[in-house]
Formats: sequence, C-alpha cells, structure tokens
Amino acid sequence: MPSFSHSWLPFIYLYGFGGLFFFAGMYIIHKTKGLDLRLKRNKWWRKVLYFGFFYFLIIHAILIIAALYW
Amino acid sequence: MESLHGLGTATDWVVMFVYFIGIMLFGSYFAKYNRNTNDFFFGGRRFAWWLITVSIVATGVGSHSFVKYAAKGLEHGVSSTMTYMNDWFFMPFFLFGWLPIVVYTKIKSIPEYFEKRFSPTVRLIATVFQLLYMIGYLGIGLLTLGKVFTPLLPASFDIFGLFIPVNLMGVIITIAAITGVYTTFGGQTAVIFTDLIQGVILLLAGFLIFLMGINYVGGLEAFWHLLPPDWRLPLADFNSPADFNFVGIFWQDGVAGSVGFLFMNMGLLMRFMSAKSVDEGRKAAVFNVLFMLPLSAIVVGNAGWIAKAILGMAKPALNADVNPDEVFIAVTHIIASKGVFGFVIAALTATLLSTVDSLINAIAAVYMNDVHPHVRKLYAKRVTTQEQTSKEELFVARISSIVITAVGILATIPFSKYPTVYQAHGYFHSTLTPPLVTAIFLGVFWKKFTPAGVLATFLGGSSLMILGATYPDILIAPIAHGTPFDPVHPYSYISALYNTIVCVAVGVLITLTLSWQKGIVNKIRKSASHELMMKVFIGIIVASLIIIWVNVLPLVISMIIVLVMTVLVSLTAQYYIHFDPNVHLDGLTAWSIHRAKEIFKGGKVNEREGEVVSAQWRVRKDNEDYVSVSKADMKKMEAEVGDLVYVCDKRKYLGGLKSFHSKYGEPHEENGVVYIGEEHRLSAQFQEGKIVTVEKEM
Repeated sequence: MPSFSHSWLPFIYLYGFGGLFFFAGMYIIHKTKGLDLRLKRNKWWRKVLYFGFFYFLIIHAILIIAALYW
Repeated sequence: MESLHGLGTATDWVVMFVYFIGIMLFGSYFAKYNRNTNDFFFGGRRFAWWLITVSIVATGVGSHSFVKYAAKGLEHGVSSTMTYMNDWFFMPFFLFGWLPIVVYTKIKSIPEYFEKRFSPTVRLIATVFQLLYMIGYLGIGLLTLGKVFTPLLPASFDIFGLFIPVNLMGVIITIAAITGVYTTFGGQTAVIFTDLIQGVILLLAGFLIFLMGINYVGGLEAFWHLLPPDWRLPLADFNSPADFNFVGIFWQDGVAGSVGFLFMNMGLLMRFMSAKSVDEGRKAAVFNVLFMLPLSAIVVGNAGWIAKAILGMAKPALNADVNPDEVFIAVTHIIASKGVFGFVIAALTATLLSTVDSLINAIAAVYMNDVHPHVRKLYAKRVTTQEQTSKEELFVARISSIVITAVGILATIPFSKYPTVYQAHGYFHSTLTPPLVTAIFLGVFWKKFTPAGVLATFLGGSSLMILGATYPDILIAPIAHGTPFDPVHPYSYISALYNTIVCVAVGVLITLTLSWQKGIVNKIRKSASHELMMKVFIGIIVASLIIIWVNVLPLVISMIIVLVMTVLVSLTAQYYIHFDPNVHLDGLTAWSIHRAKEIFKGGKVNEREGEVVSAQWRVRKDNEDYVSVSKADMKKMEAEVGDLVYVCDKRKYLGGLKSFHSKYGEPHEENGVVYIGEEHRLSAQFQEGKIVTVEKEM
C-alpha cells in the first residue's frame, strides 16, 4: 500500500495552496470588475471557473482512490 | 545505462521524409491569407476557439515533449501527468486580468508591456531576462531533438573512408542547421494551420502508441496490475526523491511554470490574440486546460508507463537498463511496425522542429524590436532611405537568427549535464521565471507597483537568487519541505519557491516603503551635489552586482550588500524615472480593463448583448473601412454606428479563416444584406453566394 506522503498528502497540499491562489484570483477579478457580473455571459464564465477547479480536484481524487483500491 | 543506436529502417526514413515535405507544403498554402504584418504576426484576429485550441496542442506537446515525460513515466508512473494537471489555479488571473490587457493594448512583446506600464529602462532589463528565458527554452528544444534523433542513427557513419562517430552534440548541431532551412514562410496563419494538423496527428500518434502498448501487454486490466502500486498514483511522493518530488514540482511547475506559461510565453499569447475576440480566446484557453492538456499528458507519458508494464512481464522485450530519455523511442520501436514507427517519430520531430523554429523567430523578433534599435544608434549613418533601412533590417534579422541558433546550441551544454531533460528544464524554469513573473504579476494586479519596485525586483531579487544558488544548504534548505539535498544539482525544483519568495518580498517591501524613500530622494534633489551622489549610487550598484556575481565574500556580508544595493536601485529609479499614474496605469492594469477597451475601440464601449445576424454580402464601390447593415439588423445586434463588428463566413468548419473586423457605418433599409469594402473581401477571401454572419464585438 503506498504511503500517505505519496497519496493524500500531495492532494491536500495541491488543493490547499492551489485553492488559495484560485480563490484569491476569483476575489481579485471580482474586485477589479475584470469579471463584471452585470453582464449575463460573465455569470456563465464564473460557473466555468469554479467548474474547472472542482473538475481537477475530483479527477485527482478518483485517480488516487483507483490507485489505492483497484 | 544503455544507449540505443540504429533503430530507424529505410521505410521509416522514407515515411519521415514524405511527412516533412507534406507539412511544409500544407503550411505554405495558407500564406495567401497574409495582407499585412498584423496578419503575419497575429493571424489577423479572426479564428474560432476550437481551431486555436487544437493548434495549441502542438505548442504544448512540442515544448513539453514526449522525451521527458516518457522518461518520468518510466521512473515514476502516472505522476508524470502532474505538470499537465495543475494549470487551473491561475486561470482567473489570466482570463480576466492579463489576456484582455494583452489584446486591448495590442502589445507585440512582453518587454513592450514593461515600457508602457513602467519605463524604457525597465523594458531594456526585461528584454535581457526575456532573451535568457527564450534562449534557455531553445536549448531545451535542441537538446530534446538531439535525444530523439541519436537513437535512430547508427553508432557511426563511414563516408568515403571518413569515419564519423554519432554523438549527441554533433546531432544537435546538424539539427540546428536543418531547422534554419525549415522556416515558415506563411506567418502566423500558416503556423496555426500547420500546428492544427500536427496537433491532431500528435494526439492520434500518442493514443495509437497507448492502444498498441495496452494490447501488447495483454489488455487494460493486465497493464494496470503490471504497474507497481506506487506507479499508479497521479501525484509524486511529497518530498522525495530529489529528482522528482511533488512539493518541488508544485512550486516549480504549478506556480512559476503555470504563470510563466500563461503570462510570458509570447508564442502562446499570440495564439490567443489571433482569436476573433477576447471571449473566444478565453474559450480556447479554458478548453485547452480542461481537456487538451490532460489528453496531452496521456499522449506524452504513456510510453513510459507501457515500458514499466513491459518490464514487469515474464520475458520483457525491453532492457531494464534503458536510458530514460530514450524510452519513448525504445517502446515505440518494440510495439510499432516498420513505417508506423517512422510516422510516429516524424510527427514528434516535425512538431519539435516547428517549436524550435518558431522560438528562433520569436527571439529574433525580440532582438529586432527591443535590442536592435539601441545597437543601430551606435553605427547607423544619419540619413538612410526607407529601402536601405528595410534591406538592412532583413539582413540583421537573418544574421541574428543564425547567432541565436548558435547561442541555443551552446545552451544545450549545461542542460545536457542533467540526468534527464525533465530535470534540466525544471531547474531552468525555477531560475529564470520568478523575476519576470513577479514583475508582470505585480504590475498587472497592483496599481502601486512602480518602476522602482520592478527594478528592485529584477536586480535585488535576482541577486538574492544567485546567493540562494551559491548557499542552497543555508538559504533554501529551511523552506525545502524536507526534500533531499543533492550536492550536484541542489534543489532543482523547490528553489523556485525560494526564488519566488525573494522576488515578491523585494518588490512588495520596496513598494510599501516608497513614501519614505520619496522623502530621501527629495532631500537628495535639494543638495548641491545631487548629480554626483546619483552617479556614486550607480557605481555602488554596478560594483555590488559584480561582487555578488563573482561570489568572493562571506554570505552575511553579501546579504548586507544586496540589501543596500536594492534600496539604492529604488532611490536611483525614483530620481531618474518619471512615473505618471495617468499614463502608466491607463488601461494597463487589471483595475482599468474597461479603460483599455475604450482605448482599443477609440470611443465609449457598448456592452449591451445582442444577437448574431446572418446576411448576404455585397461589395461597395468605395474602399472605406466600415460595413453597413439594415436598421432592423442593427437593433437585433444592439449595435450603434462606430461599434466594432466581426463578419465571418457562416460555415463553422472554417473556424473563422474567412472573416474580418471593421466598424458599423450608417445603416440602410435592406434587411439581411451587409455591404462591405473591396479590401474586406480580399482579406477574408469571401466566396460568391456564401452567407456570412455579422456580430457586434463591442
């Protein structure tokens, strides 16, 4: 069985620090009005950005579970 | 470690030759779409997102190649995909901060942005860093090409009794000479279409190897269980071994590399700039990161996974001692038949060649735009005709391309000392990207960041980086997260974290203390000998840089020298460089994107969202740059006279190839008809009787 430092620890670190950068980015583009939510298409873009973050998080989680238990 | 030779058969070489000729002819066909330099460099802002996405595959796979990821796939398994799956974290910053600024300010190079945002002095220093970064990339590209070709050639050639041994350096020099011949005549449009077809072929070739490999080892289930459990995990071990660990690669690739790739890779940015609008460029970038990069990760790494599975079989056809950088070639040779092997190698090398070639062109462009005007002042005669100047520039561009290629060859020497291309690339990225990335990032997102801050980041930050490289066990070890210290290649990856921290810290601290520094500069200005004082400051700065560079003093004294020098750089910058927030921030930061749009359009922006209208096109008698549609169609599009318009052939599969941008003129009464100028028809190459779509850009 692979060790914790090779399976879930990198995952937690990746989405901990990565999440920090991602949500800081979301906050800043909201503050600068780079992503101006008064426009309908930008509401769609906000969903796309959040989708991307959780899409990679779920893929990595599935791959780790497959490696550990399949 | 075993080194391979003589794997290419006559059939393979014929297939490769035909492939290369075909690709070159395909690219040159699209040269007819160039009507000016905007077309040549940016493809004329016309393409659909899907076309750009597929063409980017060849750029991503070309530079992050089969060779190094297959090597890591063999040594560490599925975690070779790590670097392709960590680019999303900075997408908000890129899509809604940097990309609109790049498009709306129409910058042609990263140093040009530094001049607009800061000053010409900053541009010059940024140019030096940018050239080092690009030449490093070129060295990595040439080294990879050498590693692909060497196993295909025999161990030596015997020509007319002359015995020529085949070694890596000889192959690299020969390839560099061939690259000079393999230049693209058609500009960005030809590059996009050549890369489009190469991207498709690369993906097919990569999946072909994967499927043949899975079949070779006995199916998917057998493949998965032939891999040891540690080889199945998608992320590397947290902090070991030294040459491939998660935490180091996260900071080197996921942070410095991702920001570097998205923010300062001009080749990639020029692709997004060739999209028909900023939103279309965003779609291309999103689709690329969400789908194309994960697919590319499988395509480039799977030969290594297959190799590991083959080694787990009862009678492996692969030598367990195979050189990791040659494993891609070795595996393809085992599982592919004659001809197919040639096709796969041709697909790989053609992409690498076009990557290397476009890099040489891009470096030559940076030299011509950012360096040559300064050099020219030293020797140019006072009066020259336009014809003489353009003739001379063409000559200089060619000479600079040759010199750049030679420097690229020299750059392969230090890189070839690393055990794998991957590690060489990682160290180079850790070292060169942090100063530029920090400068761009703070420049875009922080209005208070001034020339003093950016120059301190460049000079002070890079001096602290040199100290880190000299004393890694003292300066980098405390933040190395327990990664092992390799005395030969110390902290190849985690050094990116140290380098980023020192660059950001210098930039932020200098910027936060600007008002205190301004007081000092004002006092200096009032003194009688203020000019002499500034000259002394510059002398101290230059002497400090030399002392740090030659490294003759103990660490503590060196650190004090760097800190004093950084403050002097900031004071000198404030004394000499006039920074006007109304000029240097206008439309150039994430806080003024709306203003950037107004400058781009040349008037007030109309953000109302309208429909896309289909119409028949007719050519007007005059050749003015506007199009006219009916009042009813204008209303559907929510457009006003003077708004920007995009007219495109309705056939989606053309991807925007037949299209143009213009402005709305006064409307007429014929619904479903758009009147265009003759130049519009020529640049879009519209066909008689074909319907077009008309949409408002802004």
